[in-house]
This record gives sequence, C-alpha cells and structure tokens, in this order.
Amino acid sequence: MSFATISRRLATATAVALLPLFTSGWLTGPQSTFETKGPVARSQLDVFYVTLWVTMIVFVLVAGVLAYATLKYKARKEDAEKPMPPQGHGNPFVELGLIALSIAALVVIAVPTLRAIWYTYDVPEEQRANAYEVTAHGLQWWFKFEYPAEQIDGTGALVNANELVIPAGRPVRVNLRTADVIHSFWVPKLAGKVDMMPNRGNHLWLQADEPGYFWGQCAEFCGESHAVMRFRVIALAEPDFAAWVAKQKQPARTVVAAPEQPKLVAAGYIPLVNPKRNAPGYTAEFDADPMGHWIAKQEVDAGEDVALALRGRAVFKEKACITCHAVRGHDGLGVNGPDLTHFGSRTTVAAGLLENSKVNLHRWITEPNNVKPGNKMYMGVNGMAGYMTADPKGDMTVAHIKVSDDEARALVEYLHSLK
Amino acid sequence: MSAHAGTIDHHHDHTTTTGIPNKKLFMWAFLASDCMFFAALISTHVIYRLHPTPDSPDVLKIFSIELTSFSTFILLMSSLLMALAVGASQKGKVEATRKMILGTIFFGLIFLGCQVYEFNHFVHLGLTLKSSMFGATFYTLTGTHGVHVAIGVVWLVLTYIRTFKPADASKSWIARAVTQFVAFSVATVAFMVVMLAVTHAGAEHGYNLGALVKGVEHSLVATIVFGVSSAILVALSRSSWAVDFGEANAIDVEGMGLYWHFVDIVWIIIFTVVYLLEYL
Amino acid sequence: MEAALKSAYTEKDHAPQPAVRPWFFTRPTAKTGIVSWLTTVDHKKIGLLYGMFSLFFFLVGGFEALLIRVQLAVPNNTFLTHQLYNEMFTMHATTMIFLAVMPLSAAFFNYLMPLQIGARDVAFPRLNGFAFWVFLAGAIILNVGWFTKAGAPDVGWFGYAPLTSNQFSTHFKGDVSTDLWVMGLQILGVSSVIGSLNFIVTIINMRAPGLTMMRLPVFTWMTLFTAFLIILSFPAITIALVELMMDRSFGTGFFEVSKGGLPILWQHLFWIFGHPEVYILILPAMGIVSEILPTFSRKPLFGYPIVVFSGAVIGFLGFGVWSHHMFTTGLGTMATAAFSLATMAIAVPTGVKIFNWIGTLWGGQIHTRTPMMFALGFIWMFMMGGFSGVMHSAAPADAQQQDSYFVVAHFHYVLIGGSIFALLAGIHFYFPLVFGRMVSEFWGKLSFWVIFIGFNVTFFPMHFLGLNGMPRRTAVYDGNMGWNEGNLIASIGAFILGIGIFIYFVVIVYTYAKGKKIKRDPWDARTLEWAVPSVPPPEHNFHVTPTVHARDAFWYEKTHAKEIAEENALHAKEEESHGGIHMPSQSWFPILTACGMLFGGLCFAHHFFPGAIVGGVLTFLGVIGWAFEGPGGYHLHLDKDGNVKPDHGDSH
Repeated sequence: MSFATISRRLATATAVALLPLFTSGWLTGPQSTFETKGPVARSQLDVFYVTLWVTMIVFVLVAGVLAYATLKYKARKEDAEKPMPPQGHGNPFVELGLIALSIAALVVIAVPTLRAIWYTYDVPEEQRANAYEVTAHGLQWWFKFEYPAEQIDGTGALVNANELVIPAGRPVRVNLRTADVIHSFWVPKLAGKVDMMPNRGNHLWLQADEPGYFWGQCAEFCGESHAVMRFRVIALAEPDFAAWVAKQKQPARTVVAAPEQPKLVAAGYIPLVNPKRNAPGYTAEFDADPMGHWIAKQEVDAGEDVALALRGRAVFKEKACITCHAVRGHDGLGVNGPDLTHFGSRTTVAAGLLENSKVNLHRWITEPNNVKPGNKMYMGVNGMAGYMTADPKGDMTVAHIKVSDDEARALVEYLHSLK
Repeated sequence: MSAHAGTIDHHHDHTTTTGIPNKKLFMWAFLASDCMFFAALISTHVIYRLHPTPDSPDVLKIFSIELTSFSTFILLMSSLLMALAVGASQKGKVEATRKMILGTIFFGLIFLGCQVYEFNHFVHLGLTLKSSMFGATFYTLTGTHGVHVAIGVVWLVLTYIRTFKPADASKSWIARAVTQFVAFSVATVAFMVVMLAVTHAGAEHGYNLGALVKGVEHSLVATIVFGVSSAILVALSRSSWAVDFGEANAIDVEGMGLYWHFVDIVWIIIFTVVYLLEYL
Repeated sequence: MEAALKSAYTEKDHAPQPAVRPWFFTRPTAKTGIVSWLTTVDHKKIGLLYGMFSLFFFLVGGFEALLIRVQLAVPNNTFLTHQLYNEMFTMHATTMIFLAVMPLSAAFFNYLMPLQIGARDVAFPRLNGFAFWVFLAGAIILNVGWFTKAGAPDVGWFGYAPLTSNQFSTHFKGDVSTDLWVMGLQILGVSSVIGSLNFIVTIINMRAPGLTMMRLPVFTWMTLFTAFLIILSFPAITIALVELMMDRSFGTGFFEVSKGGLPILWQHLFWIFGHPEVYILILPAMGIVSEILPTFSRKPLFGYPIVVFSGAVIGFLGFGVWSHHMFTTGLGTMATAAFSLATMAIAVPTGVKIFNWIGTLWGGQIHTRTPMMFALGFIWMFMMGGFSGVMHSAAPADAQQQDSYFVVAHFHYVLIGGSIFALLAGIHFYFPLVFGRMVSEFWGKLSFWVIFIGFNVTFFPMHFLGLNGMPRRTAVYDGNMGWNEGNLIASIGAFILGIGIFIYFVVIVYTYAKGKKIKRDPWDARTLEWAVPSVPPPEHNFHVTPTVHARDAFWYEKTHAKEIAEENALHAKEEESHGGIHMPSQSWFPILTACGMLFGGLCFAHHFFPGAIVGGVLTFLGVIGWAFEGPGGYHLHLDKDGNVKPDHGDSH
C-alpha cells in the first residue's frame, strides 16, 4: 500500500470522524477548506489530515499519561504521613526513547509534506501544455484579472474585475501581481493562498473539477478595507467558457435610444434606500444559488429603462467616472479603477462585497465610503481626485464629486445595461 | 565544599564566578549583539547589490579606493595604538595610557574626517540617500559604522579626561573636565572644517602648499578656533597631582579597547564587501 | 584587622574618605516614597515596577481584545469602524507582546533570578533601572497615538512593507501613527537588549559559591537563553525599523516599491527577529512551570539536563525557522521544504519538555494548589498549541491555514495557554515571597477555572473558523459564510475570560492589602529564592551569601540544616571582616537618561528634528553624568538577630 493510499484512507476516516461538525455547519461554508473542489486544495487537505491524525494520536497518548499521572499521584489527606517520594532526577533511556518516537512521528508528517510542496507549487509537468494562464493583480481593495491568452485588437488583453472566470477541469496557472501593497489570493475550495508581493513575480495553480461558483478573499492585511476585499472564481465548462470569452471580447453593449422619458419622478419610480453601514450585501435567494444568478446576469435585464440608461451614460461622462473606469466601445479609458465594459454581467460589486443589485449599486455609488472605507473612488488615487480631494494643507479632504440620487439611479441603469 | 568556598563581594572586589570581570563580559555580550546589527545592515546592502535597482550608479566611478584604503589603514593603526593604551593602563602607566589614547583619538578622527570628506564628495557626485538604493544602503551602512567610530572617539575622550581625576577626593575637577571636553569637541569640528576647506582647495588648485594656504584662508575663523582650543587642550594636558587612575581602571580601558577593535574588524568586513568586491 | 579592611583585589581601603560631590552627583538615599522608586537600583523594586506596568498594559491589551470580540460577535457589525478595528488589533498584539508578556517575564527575571543565584543584585544595578525606564518610554511612545488625531498605529504588529510606507500609511499630513510605532519598538528594543546584557553577565558571573551552571535553577537557565535570544534577535528588527525610519523620514527607498525596494526583505528581517521572539515569550514561562511542578510534586524535575539542553536547542533552532511565517510568499520549493523540516525538528525539543514535566509528576505527591492548577493548565494548553503548530509546519497544509483564524487559535494557545498561564501561575506561586501574604485558595482556584473555561470557549472555535476559511484581521464578515456560531461563542468566551481575569486581579489586589500573612517558604519549595531570611526579602536579600551544595539548593539546605547554619555563621563573620554587606547606591541618572530618550523619540516620530537633537543631547548628558557619578555603594551591618543596624553604613 503506497503512502498516498494510506494518507487518503486516513483522510477519509478523518472526514467521517469530523462528520458531526460538518453536519452542524462548523466546517461547511463558501470558504470551507474541507469541501475541496480541486486537486490542489485536496492535496493540501490530505496533508492536513495526516498532521491531524499524527497529532491526535500523540495527543491521546501524552494527554492520557498526563491525566493518569495527575489523578494517580494526586496527594491525598492520608499521604501527609507518607515519606517523600524518591528524589530521582530522571531516566535517560525513557528520554531517548521518547525523542526517537517523536522523530518517527514527524517523519510520518514530513514525507507527504514534501510530496505536496512540489505538487502544489506549479502545474505538473505532463499537464503544463494544457494549462490556462491568467494574471491576477491585487489593488487596494479589489482584484483585476487579466487574460493574456485573450487579446482584443488594439486594446490588449481581456481584463475583468473581482470575478475570475476559468475553464473547469483544466489546470489554471495564476500569475500573482500587485500594484500597491501585499495582498494574498485565496480561494479555499480550490487552493491555499499565495501572496501577491510587490517587485516579485509569484504564481499559484488551481483546478476546478466541475463548473461552480467559488468564494475568495484577500488573506493578507492590506490596509483599511482589507476585510471587504473579496472576489469570486467562476468555473465554466469548456464550451461555456469559450462563449463567455467571446462575449467579453465584444465592446460594451449600447442600448437603443427610446422615445420615452426616464422614470425619474413619474410612475414606476422605486426609491432606492441605502442600507446602513456594513449591512449584508446578499439576499437569501442569491446565497441559495449563486451560479444560477451568475448565468441570469449574462442576459439583458427584463424591464430595462432604456432612456434612464442613456442618461446614465451621459452622467458617467459628466461626473468624470471615465477618468478611472474603462468602458470599451463607450467613453471610459481610465485604468485606475475596474474595467466596466461588461459590468452588468457580474454578480458582485465593490470587490465581491455586495450582490450586483440595483439598490446595492446605488448604495455603492452614493456612499462608497460607507461600503468600503478609504476606497480610491472616494479618496482619489495616483494623484487624481475622487469624490474627495486633498485641500492645499494636505491634512483634510474636501468634497469634489457629488452624485445626486437621480444621477445615481441613472448610473445604475446604465451600468446594469453593460452586459 | 565547592571550589568557591568563601564569600564573594561582587560589587566591590571584582571577583566573579568565572573570574572574568563583569564589564568585560558585558562588552563581549554587547559586541555579539552588535554583530547582528551589522549583519542585518550588510545583508541589506548585499541583497540590494544582488538585485540592483535601475537607478544604480556606476560605483567604480564614484569610489576613490585610494582614499578609503588609506583610511582603512589608519583605522587599523589606531587599533594598534588602542592595544598599546590597554597595555599601558594594565601596567599602571598613566602618562603612556594618555598618549596612546590621544593617538587613537587622532587616528579615529582622521578616519572620520576621511569619511566626512568621502560623503561630501559622493554627494557632489550625485550619490545621496534618496538618489538610489545604492545610496540608501551605502550611507546607512557606512554611516552606522561612522557613528560607532564617533561614539568610540567620544568615549576615548571621556576616558582621557577621566585620567585627570585627582586622587584627593576633596579636590573638585569638574570645571576642568568640562573645559577639556568642550575644547575637544570644538577643536574636532574646527579641524574638520579646515581640512575640508584644504582638500577642496587642493582639488581646485592641485595639492601643494599654496592650496594649504588657500584652504586655511577660506576657513580662517575655524583655523583660529582650532588653534585656541588646541592650545587649551595642551595647557590642560599635564597633571601635577596624584591621580585616581591606575591598574584598577585598566578594565575600563580594556572594555573600550574591545569595542574599538570590534569596530575596526567590522570596518574590514565593510571595506571588503562594500568597496573591494565592487572591483572584482 | 587592619589588613582585613583592605580589598584583596584592589589593595585599597573599602571605605575611602568621603568625596566632595556637587549637588548633581549626590546619591539619593530614600528607601521609601516616590524618590525611592524613581531612583531605585534594587532588582526587586525594579521587578515590581516591571510587574505593575506590564499588568497594567495586560489589562489595556485585554480591553482592546474585548472590543475586537464585540465587533466580531455578529456578522456585519458596526460597533467599530474598519480603521479603529485595524488600530485595535495592531495595538492589541503590540501591547500584549512588547508591553505585557515580555516585561512581565522581565519582572520575574528581575525579581527572581538574582535570588535564585544567591546574589544581592544584578551586575549593573543602575543599568537595570535604566532598562525599565526606557521600557516605559517606549510604551508611552507606542500608545500616545490613541490621544492624537492620527490614532494608534494601524499596520498590524508585523508592519509588512510597503503598507508602512508614507504612501500607504500616512492618511493625512501629520499622521504619525506609523512613526510612533517604529520609534516605540526601537526604544523598547533598546530596553530589552540592555536588560538582557545585564542578565547574561549576572547569571554567568554572580552565582553564589558552589552554584555551578548545571546546578542553576531551570528558571535561571531559561532567563539566560531568553537573554541570549533577545540580544541576538532584536538587532534584526531594529535595523529593519531603522531602514523603515529612513524611508519615512529621509526619503530612502529600502522598502519603497517604486524605488526598487523589496518588501520581502522586511519580512525576512522581521521574522529573523520574530521567530526567536516567540521563544522569548515562551521560554520564561517554561522556566516558571519547571519550578512550580517539582515543588508541588515534591520531587526534583525529571531529566534536568535534558530540559536545560532542550531549551538551548529550541533557542538555537529558533533562529533557523523564521521563514515558516512566510510559506505563502512564494519562497520556492527548496526553501519551503527546508523551513518545513526545520520547523518540524523544533517540535522535538519542545515535546521533550512536555515529557519531562509529565515525568516530574509521575510518582510524586501532587498538591493541586492554585499555582499548580495554572501550571497543569499550562501543560494542557501549551500541548494543544504545540500540536496546531506541528500542523502549520507542513507547508501545504499551512497554505490554507496561514493568516486564517486557525493561526489565531494556534498562537493564542501558545501565548495565553502557554505564556500567560505560566505567568499567572508564577504570580500566585511567588506572591507569598514578594508580599509575604497568601492568596486565598478558593478564590485562586475559582479564577483559574473561569479563566481556563473562558479561554477555551474563546479560542477553540477559532480552529474551526480558520479551517472554514475565515481570514484574520477582518473587521466584518458576512452572515452566509458559516462563521456566525463560532464567532458568537468566541465572543462569549472572551467575556468569560475577561471575568476570570477580573476575579484574578481583584483577588490579588485584595490579598496584597488584606491577605493572610505567612512565614517564609509556604510551599515547602526547593530553590534558592526561598532561602531568603524573611518574606518579603530584605533589601540585601540574604544575610549571608549562600553556599550551594546541590541542584535544589534550598531543599538541600532544609535537609542539612545544621551543617548549613554552621557554614553561614562562618561566612557571616568573614563578610563582616570584609567591610560588611555591600549594596549599590541609588541614582537619578537612569531615569533622566530615559527621559531624554522619551523626549527625543517623541520629537523624532513627529519629524521635529531640533527636538530630537535636544533629546539626543539630554540622553548624552545623562550617560556622561552616569559615567562620572560612578557605581557607588555602601555597606550594611547586621546585628546578631539579622536586623540591619540603624547606621546605614558608610557610602562611597
């Protein structure tokens, strides 16, 4: 029986042993490291199970002896008369024996550890030709994903923000880069984390066994809004992935002009009330079926207010959104913020924090600092002003861009039309 | 009974469990720690030499290896004088100790002067703390070493002054000590100003007597200040009274010596790593 | 008799004629009141100062922890802002490590180590006081940010570059929170290194006659190892901080990405310090436990040489495993494998200690008094922390655990379950020695159980949170992640733990004021610190410098009472003939010099360089005054009952 088989069996046994915790939800969830969906995470989990088993056995043995000794040799009232215990200083043979046993236990852990270190480091040699390559950039506080294999004529590689779409059943090599501080790329169900280090080219590889929707999060403290720097990985079957890429390569969708007025004050106006700071960004329906939501998002929304969307496009230009955001085929050219060309097809907004719904987008546009404090859209970036700008003394900020409720509604409609 | 039977009066008799004086052991432990300081600094420098940034200057065009070799030699010689000072103090020869300490101070100051000149020169060539990573690591590393030498010099000066402490405890010597220290500080700064002026004049007009005169002319005030403060030092360099400085204080001189030798050895490493290796 | 008044070494009179001293060199002589504390050179008083301030900061850090747990009790909480939360966890960690556990260990070193080696003080008493005042200066600089607009430091306790650079951590002009962090840690480093140098010299050079190295109490051994770890590891972080300070103040680019800086270098320098630091925090705890277990098992420590040797091996290997904090930084396969194996190797000497503690219990008569309860709790909790540590050593598993709550659980098991439990045990154990009063058994045990339960309720669920994908240092989390129950339980546990700590301190304070007075040696202890003639110990510690004949010196003394009494009487006479008991004089210069550093440090952190220079000059003047003041000292003489004669001896 090979070592891998033993560790696999141990792993299964451990999983069974941990079943009560699974069933009560302690070890299940969108970022559970136990519900592995790919070979890299599985290999890491196998090593974990080996360490768990070895330490459990050692723990039971040592703790048993400790508990026994404590109870057995506890002084009792009648002991007061007894003579002192023998004042011995120890036994070298016992010591050496225990040291040898500890080393043996560690060797059991070391062997699978070493195997997994090499396995998880890079795509295995025989699959390398088949591997798909993407580049992930960490920024304060969002992720930019670049597809070097998908070049768009004249504008370079396809980029997407906060939602990494990959082909399922195929190894994916993710190059890890950062534009500012250290971030860490972590999708627990697919692979353990690797940091994005400035001035250093890191990478990891992962593979999703089946199509699916996976939660990920920045795992290295990266400043004020680190806690809300999240992202998604969406694995698609090969043909679906090809279709998605083809669609993404298209320039932004332009709605056809309509005669009627935007429903700003007229009938059909639904006021968008922002939830409170840190309010949950997801509905229960979304949680129940995120992949279904993602698929639905690829299609044009029903009941689209075309006039409002057109007004939104104008607002997008007026409010200088275009200086930081690119909308390929429309006006935006900026590179400081996420590319919004196909924004409407994403399930999340504000770096995976909020479900991409009308009310959430409105909340993000009108009160960005309440959603993600310190964000660059609000504070300004690379010397450019955001919603706020530095006053001449440099120790305060003053308002620069103001977005009214109506304007925000128009922007929401416009951005959601970008499928 | 153990070998150490009998009472030990630690603070007073300097008898210790190991026989090594406390101050000496302290200094050794401190130097072990200081090794790690320099190890971290030298590592930083080496790492950035191995991963040079695009703004790295052409180091060979900046360095003046002759000058640095000279100052290295001077620092080595100062170690010799320091060793002689320790020897003299252990034999209780106060006058010889003073001379050797003065010699060490003088050589240490020449080294520092060379470094000041070198820094000044490099800055003129455009190498500053901010100009490149090489500037940052170079100045931080050699600067930290320079600070070590400067602390050593101050310590030597204070020890020198200490050798004048009268054996008669009722005699006050504070005013004298303060005057000596101030005179030392002023003379050092003034001397450095003069030397800088002279070297700059030399660089402009060639290294000859005329340049010397020109340099002195350019820094006349400093020259006068230097003259006056030196005169004060010379005047105060004699003690006609019995001094409270002898073999018992040899341990202080020895501790200082350990420090001084360590700083020298560190410089040998820095000189090799930072300067010589660039010429490979 | 005339000859006896001369020193055997210097041939000088023991008490030369009194010198004419200007007012600023007049030695303070107050033995009570505020001046006696400000100018003290007595290792016991300095130990108490360390103890009081570290416990104060322990409570501050604990309060910060409670605020963190309130914020995390429920998902999407708005109790703290992100910014304040970041400041909170940064300061919680920095406070607990540098201002609570390290100085509390230093309190034990100061108070106990000289007693354990039969010395009357440390080798450099004034330097010892200085180390404390510098510690206080650093603590003030670290915490002063709370009272400014900039707020406290918010870069995490390991301040990963380039988050600490001006670009990313200076939110507005005059935001000096990161500068305060940098300066505070540098100054604390000075304090630790100076204190440690002193301890090293003291342990090597000032042992009582007959106290060979292999007879040293284990706590003293651990003090020695810790001191070596400190002097060899602190330079790395100090240089890293200096480089960062140059970046922030003078525009260099050591860690500036745009100038070609390598943030990975910061991590290497930090963890070359940071990993030994872990052992700096745990070795003293191991030392304390190694004193308590034999006492309450009524037999010597099992395998003394191996416990000592494993301490040395831990210290040595501790310098070779730093990169296991960096498994996710893309070190490459070879480096990851090497550090993985080295980390596993360090589990062996650590395990050996646990085996030996169990061996000590085996066959003994275990008295489960309060200190013993904490010590046993220590073994259990430290063992669990050790096992999760082994899990981290397997780098592939660590890829999932790194920076998750699993790690948070792990290091709280070793730092609270390990260090803090042992330190709390030590406080109970040594309370009778230090204050001459005994803590009530009932209340002591009650506090133990509440702390023990609260601790496990808080931190055990965090293992699951981490494995379920919850990253650390996150101010908010969503309710759909499966983390709600674990976090709520942890927060409830934190308050139970808080109540336990509250009970503990109330009991201690009550006992200090009104506790039952006891005679010396209430535990029937084994090592030399208990051989002091009275509790609390007199200023001169021992009437006669003890002579050591065996490993557990006091145990030997108790079993050979007559022989030792005769020997002591003989030595007392000799000591008197040598001029009496020599004591160091108090001094103002340590605190003055430290004030200079405080002022300079604060000015430098605020980029007010003239002030920094003034601070530097004050420090320099302090040092000079210190040097020319001289060590000084005076002699005590005892009457035949062992009381100090009213005439306080001649100073010199």
